[in-house]
Amino acid sequence: MIAAGATLLTATLWGAQDQKGAPSSPPKDNKPAEYIGDDVCQGCHEDIFDAFQKNPHHVVETDKKYRFAGQACESCHGPGSKHADSADAADIKNPAHLAPGEADKTCLVCHLNKSTQVGRINGSHAKNEVACIACHSVHKNGPNGLVARKTAEINQLCSGCHSDIWASFQQPFRHRLPEGAMSCVDCHNPHGGFLDHNLQSMDANEPGCFKCHGNLAGPFTFEHPPMRTDGCMACHMPHGSPNTKMLTRNQVRFVCLECHSNLPTPTANVAGTIGSIPPAFHNLISPMFQNCTVCHQQIHGSYVDRGLLR
Amino acid sequence: MRILIALALAASAFGQAPASQAAPAAPTPAAQAAPAAPATSTTTAPATSTPEASTTAAQAPAAENPAPATEPWFTGSIDFGYRFRTGLNGSGPAYQSIVDLSPGLRLMGLDFSIVDPKHRLFDTLNVRANNWGGDPYNTAHVDARKQGDYDFRFDYSNILYYSAMPAYANPFAPGGVNQQWVNQYRKNLSLSLTLRPDKRIVPYVTFDRNAGSGTGISTYPQGGQDTFAVASSLIDHTSNYRGGLRIQLSKFHMTLEEGGTTYRNSDSAYNVNPTTGDATTQLFGQTLQLNNLTQAYGIQAHSYYTRALLTANPVSWFNVFAQFLYSQPKTTVTYQDALTGNFLLLNQLLFYSGQSDMATGAANKPHVSGNGGFEMRPFAHLRFTGTLSTDRFHDSAYSSLIQAFLTSGSSVNAATLISPLEMVNYNRAELLLFYDIGKRLTLHAGYRNEWGNTTVTASEQSQIGLYESGKLSRQVALAGANFHPFTKLSMNAEYEGASTAQAYFTTSLYNYTRIRARARYQARPSLAFQVNFAALENHDPILGSQEDYLSRDNSASVNWTPNGGKYVAVLAEYDRETISSAIDFLLPGFLAPDVSVYAANAHLATSAVQVNVPAVKGVAAKLTLGGSMAIVNGTEATRYYEPLVRLSIPAGKHVYWNTEWRYYGYSDQIYLFQGFQTHLFETGVKLTR
Repeated sequence: MIAAGATLLTATLWGAQDQKGAPSSPPKDNKPAEYIGDDVCQGCHEDIFDAFQKNPHHVVETDKKYRFAGQACESCHGPGSKHADSADAADIKNPAHLAPGEADKTCLVCHLNKSTQVGRINGSHAKNEVACIACHSVHKNGPNGLVARKTAEINQLCSGCHSDIWASFQQPFRHRLPEGAMSCVDCHNPHGGFLDHNLQSMDANEPGCFKCHGNLAGPFTFEHPPMRTDGCMACHMPHGSPNTKMLTRNQVRFVCLECHSNLPTPTANVAGTIGSIPPAFHNLISPMFQNCTVCHQQIHGSYVDRGLLR
Repeated sequence: MRILIALALAASAFGQAPASQAAPAAPTPAAQAAPAAPATSTTTAPATSTPEASTTAAQAPAAENPAPATEPWFTGSIDFGYRFRTGLNGSGPAYQSIVDLSPGLRLMGLDFSIVDPKHRLFDTLNVRANNWGGDPYNTAHVDARKQGDYDFRFDYSNILYYSAMPAYANPFAPGGVNQQWVNQYRKNLSLSLTLRPDKRIVPYVTFDRNAGSGTGISTYPQGGQDTFAVASSLIDHTSNYRGGLRIQLSKFHMTLEEGGTTYRNSDSAYNVNPTTGDATTQLFGQTLQLNNLTQAYGIQAHSYYTRALLTANPVSWFNVFAQFLYSQPKTTVTYQDALTGNFLLLNQLLFYSGQSDMATGAANKPHVSGNGGFEMRPFAHLRFTGTLSTDRFHDSAYSSLIQAFLTSGSSVNAATLISPLEMVNYNRAELLLFYDIGKRLTLHAGYRNEWGNTTVTASEQSQIGLYESGKLSRQVALAGANFHPFTKLSMNAEYEGASTAQAYFTTSLYNYTRIRARARYQARPSLAFQVNFAALENHDPILGSQEDYLSRDNSASVNWTPNGGKYVAVLAEYDRETISSAIDFLLPGFLAPDVSVYAANAHLATSAVQVNVPAVKGVAAKLTLGGSMAIVNGTEATRYYEPLVRLSIPAGKHVYWNTEWRYYGYSDQIYLFQGFQTHLFETGVKLTR
């Protein structure tokens, strides 16, 4: 605790110095910068200005509710008079050069109060300081320029950072992302959401897996509890697997027996694991019993049978 | 073949020295320039992308924010051709389960955009379609938008789910029939319309439909004595309707949504020929046999649900978020089957010749979820986030089963009435503190508490009654850092360390440590390196059992597009993944101790090298070499290779002649009979405008 406190204090002082140091560079004059309007920006940044005319962010310019008519550039970059006078990049705010959290504050001035941001602080991107502009292009030309829209482009964008995840899709049993039939955002919400792993949800609060696998959503008369408590990943590796049906184990019986372990009821201080009670007395030497789901075929849940047989 | 793969990978590796940023990990100047620009879609989606797209994308970072002087009203391309396949060596069912590309005329891609400069019905209309004409996954997309008026989206996909791996089910089943063969198309349709998308009050409606149809082989387990393979017909569909209103103000947002779902399942199975089952030995001197079977499910479900979402920032340094979600899905069940043959009712030692079952049931699952949180920035460099979540449902059901067993001259009837239950309550509270140490380093640390309980229907052999219960109690320490020592380098690391007092399953996460780290170095605008590391170690402290799990994942990638990919573009990724797991269990039947050991040592790689061949008589071809490979050693030792070579030759100002070779090779080191190899050749034309 003391060490943590000392670290925090040191960090605070260091940060304070930094904070203090940044503005301490002598200003060219003490007069605060003023808004100068897009026309002045256009003079030097015509390519960006022209592209911006077709960009959805151009609405900042045209919609009075944003109160930046004629000053769209400065709505994000701040007043530009000093930069216009000096042509020095240090004289204007550039979100790309800020700490991610600071950069996001610029975006969130307008975007915070939108439905996409409701799960933001639950999401791993926010926790890991992945800034909005890591994925979104602010100036780019065209109505679809803000972010990748096509399946292959989305996958390319995500795998740029998540190359380890993309590698999993090179295994034989996988969801069809390399084939271009799906994209990462079909399953994950990059803005964050209610569920772990930035998973998409469907209906009110069901995992997004059921959007394509609607026949497994239930509710079943006889549920298989891991489906609800641990999700599909209790048994499947959704990005890719060397095992048939993307299972976590190469033989089905091990997927089952690791939970249905027949082991004694846990001791008192670790009470309450479920599923360890003997499910059956089959002789696993017989090939007939080596793949549990041959008989227990309604493994995701059954409408009819307690043993998930039909 | 391996030589070709090695050449392709070696070529990629050779190009490692120098690459361009496809997807910036952090806001760097390059990121700002073109963060969303895909570098080489060929490399990540070799099956669908084109060299032209790859080059265009690779050049994007160099051409910052291009703004054409005169924008054409129509732009697009169509890519079609013919696919040939050489003879398939090896297992046809395995090929269909993993690849399933067949020869024939194909529409590989259609992509066009229409811009209406007069903004009459729309500002822009985008249409895309891929892999039509017989491929196992077809997609289509249409979107149209008129700023301030509406935003419309249509998405469709039709994905074949074919699974018939020969060794998967019971390889010794009578006749070699794969008892879990599935050949089913799953179709997804999504329509959404948002009105006045940029305004303060935004109404929207959405319709989604997911439908499955196909055939397969399922089983009819008969009384635990035998299992018969039967043909099945699989039909289900889910329709989802929802509509809502978004109220978007500068300091406040609320979304209110009402929706509903309908579901039907009409799966059925039948058998008309006398068949023996999986049992290889006679029972009491008799062979069990199924002569006829009809089996039909009639499942209907519906659900109404409500979502309320809220964000607000009453003051600039304090934001709040909240979600409330409620649904109440209900299912009603009717089920019937009738069968004849020779069967055994073991508990009465009675052989019988016919059986009929009739089941009815219902399930009702009210489901409530809530999530609230805040983000507070009391000082310039310090912020807190806190969240509290709860998710709880209570699936109560009843099931009634009436059975009749026909013996010679008499019948035995049985009725079962049961009230299954599944109740799950899950709660989570999390608090994180973020501290910016200057502009270069942000640290975060925090704490998460997870707790919950569940009561579920126990298995039929349970000695403790109809239900069993479990509890969850887990404390997690969280930490992380985000470091940008200089503009070209960004690093990120996160840590989770957990102590679990109680969990639901023996395989759950108990005392675990999870670490992730990423680093990206943008050496030049045209050259970027990325390395990732992830590890998860889990140990179960339960006495008498062992649950040890360790996985490590290391990956490195390089992206090099010198001169914006004018002459060559290279992307290469390599990933090494190891998993080792050892979990105790007792063998059913003998209750002898055993260990489930699973180990995987995977080498996964993808690469793409695109070369713009020097022009010959004014024609400059583009050559793409690459593909992917997966070499997995361990419990399930497999090899899977997908190399490709693609040549694109311009045949006019807007015409490209594309030729492609692909090889698919799969081998299973244990079940050798599951391997296959085949070559695919495609030749076609791409027209652009």
